[in-house]
Amino acid sequence: MPELRTWRHRRAPGEPVSAETRESYYGLPVIHGPHWRWPIVFYFVLGGLAGGSAVLAAAARLVGGDWARPIVRVGRYLAFLAMLPGPLLLIVDLGRPERFHHMLRVVKFRSPMSLGVWGLIGFTATAFLSLLRQAATDGLLGRANVVARLARRLPDRILAGASLVPAFFLAGYTGVLLGATAVPLWARNALRLGPLFLCSALSSAAAALSLLLGSRAETARARHAVERVERLALVGEIALLEAVRLGSGPVIGRPLAEGLAGGAFAGARASAMGALALHLLAAVSPRWLGRALRLVASLLALGGAFLLRSSIVFGGHRSAEDPDATFEFTRASR
Amino acid sequence: MSSTTGVGRTRARPGAFGFLTDTTLCIGCKACEVACKQWNQLPMDDFGFTGMSYDNTGDLGATTWRHVAFIERIADREGRRPARLQPFQSNWLMLSDVCKHCVNAGCMEACPTGAIIRTEFDTVVIQQDICNGCGYCVPACPFGVPALSPLDGKAHKCTLCYDRLRDGLEPACSKACPTDAIQFGPVHALLDRAKARVAELRAQGVEAHLYGDEALGGTGGIGGLNAFFILTAPPEVYNLPAKPELPQRRVLPGFLTSALAALVLGIATVLAFRREKEGHRA
Ligand code: SF4
Ligand code: SF4
Repeated sequence: MPELRTWRHRRAPGEPVSAETRESYYGLPVIHGPHWRWPIVFYFVLGGLAGGSAVLAAAARLVGGDWARPIVRVGRYLAFLAMLPGPLLLIVDLGRPERFHHMLRVVKFRSPMSLGVWGLIGFTATAFLSLLRQAATDGLLGRANVVARLARRLPDRILAGASLVPAFFLAGYTGVLLGATAVPLWARNALRLGPLFLCSALSSAAAALSLLLGSRAETARARHAVERVERLALVGEIALLEAVRLGSGPVIGRPLAEGLAGGAFAGARASAMGALALHLLAAVSPRWLGRALRLVASLLALGGAFLLRSSIVFGGHRSAEDPDATFEFTRASR
Repeated sequence: MSSTTGVGRTRARPGAFGFLTDTTLCIGCKACEVACKQWNQLPMDDFGFTGMSYDNTGDLGATTWRHVAFIERIADREGRRPARLQPFQSNWLMLSDVCKHCVNAGCMEACPTGAIIRTEFDTVVIQQDICNGCGYCVPACPFGVPALSPLDGKAHKCTLCYDRLRDGLEPACSKACPTDAIQFGPVHALLDRAKARVAELRAQGVEAHLYGDEALGGTGGIGGLNAFFILTAPPEVYNLPAKPELPQRRVLPGFLTSALAALVLGIATVLAFRREKEGHRA
């Protein structure tokens, strides 16, 4: 049975029904919102983490010296592991999961979802090869067998360079995908969501890497390097969060200011600012305190990435339900 | 309405078929809704009252491909009761809403499986054996037309009775419409008829306009609507966006700003790693 539909009226108490028909159709939504919920939020977070880790690993391989080896190793493992649940999350979200392969019938350059499927495949390929190469270097595949020998033959630097493009793509295309809809909150921020997701991907991946690298002395330089990236990405993230907030305006930006999605958005801003502040504080603190502050900062940055994706995804639901927002977006003459 | 685009302009291809829905002729009988459900064998929606007007359908959906909106205009924009009724219809406005079969369709461009196709009649149809229910077409439509069905997990919307057209029949809704408020035919012929009708209504003192040409409704890269409407109030009153935009217009700009951001972040990462090298050599 179809679910019972509920009709939400926007009329203020005491106001006549006719008041609703002056500017909209009884306050009912103009457009249909998406059905995307938690699986998609987790896919966005993990895709960002995977893409960001792959970027850090590749950059460390290309320009880092011996000190950067731990970034390459942990980054490559994390990129592959974070990517693994992605296709599964996407498939369970389909109305007809058994038809997931219908996505492979076509390539459509104006459909970010179609491009995303192919981008995810490209990312999987480079992440898998990088994983093999790394596992061979680390001796996890054994010594003399065919797989290990083949894997060691993989051109490491070329692999790192080639993985950069799908890594950045995976981290950012989801923002473009949301922007190419009629949902006013996403459409108004179509130019900002991609860069915002990219910054958040890099900051969360750097945070995860700095946590995984631990506080051992051998990895100290590597940890410093990723924390420097984390701070830079956080600066970009904070700036873009403000741009989204101010650029949406009071009507279209309502879901970011009210309700659960609004709370999540405020949480995302607070986490990003808090993480940056703690990092800066750690730089001038005594060693033992600095270590604790950096740990908290990295946890905050990771949590912020999750809050950010939830607020944007669920804020989109609220936005689609709001006829005022749709009309505000579509009234502007183009 | 922008003054640069002439009234009635469309990019509809020659040979395109569509609907002209003239709201001034609609009596709100819902014959179109019923005929659509019968011909397309759509299951019933839940019984229930919306509690706001005689419209208990509410919205287009996976199992509702025609929806008659009932708008009771008791008061004008300033909240005053009108002293004089419109000459044709008391103050009830009725509009039989339907998929617009856009000349450039957001749903179709979004679809990652290629399930949504443009037919030989220039209409937009979801192939049910291809759709996998990804749901991207749903928010990609600027008019809120397609919806995922909880019954089969796939997206559904008006097909402009593709099966009937192939057999040389007109769509079920326009066939059933007792007042010819819904007219079916070649888009360019319908457009000429619509322009004449708008002129006629204006001569009678009715503030009529055409929704669905390149000046109103079929804007922002959509290029016109193959199913268009004659309205006598601002589009928002009928729950239609005044100047919608083709969402895919934002794909390339979005990727460009993302690429720029990726470049900046990449350079920042490289610089951060290089500083580590130098910093520790010194
Ligand atoms: S009105 Fe919506 S569903 Fe219909 S063709 Fe246009 S974009 Fe597609
Ligand atoms: S739900 Fe079906 S028709 Fe709609 S975009 Fe996805 S695959 Fe295409």
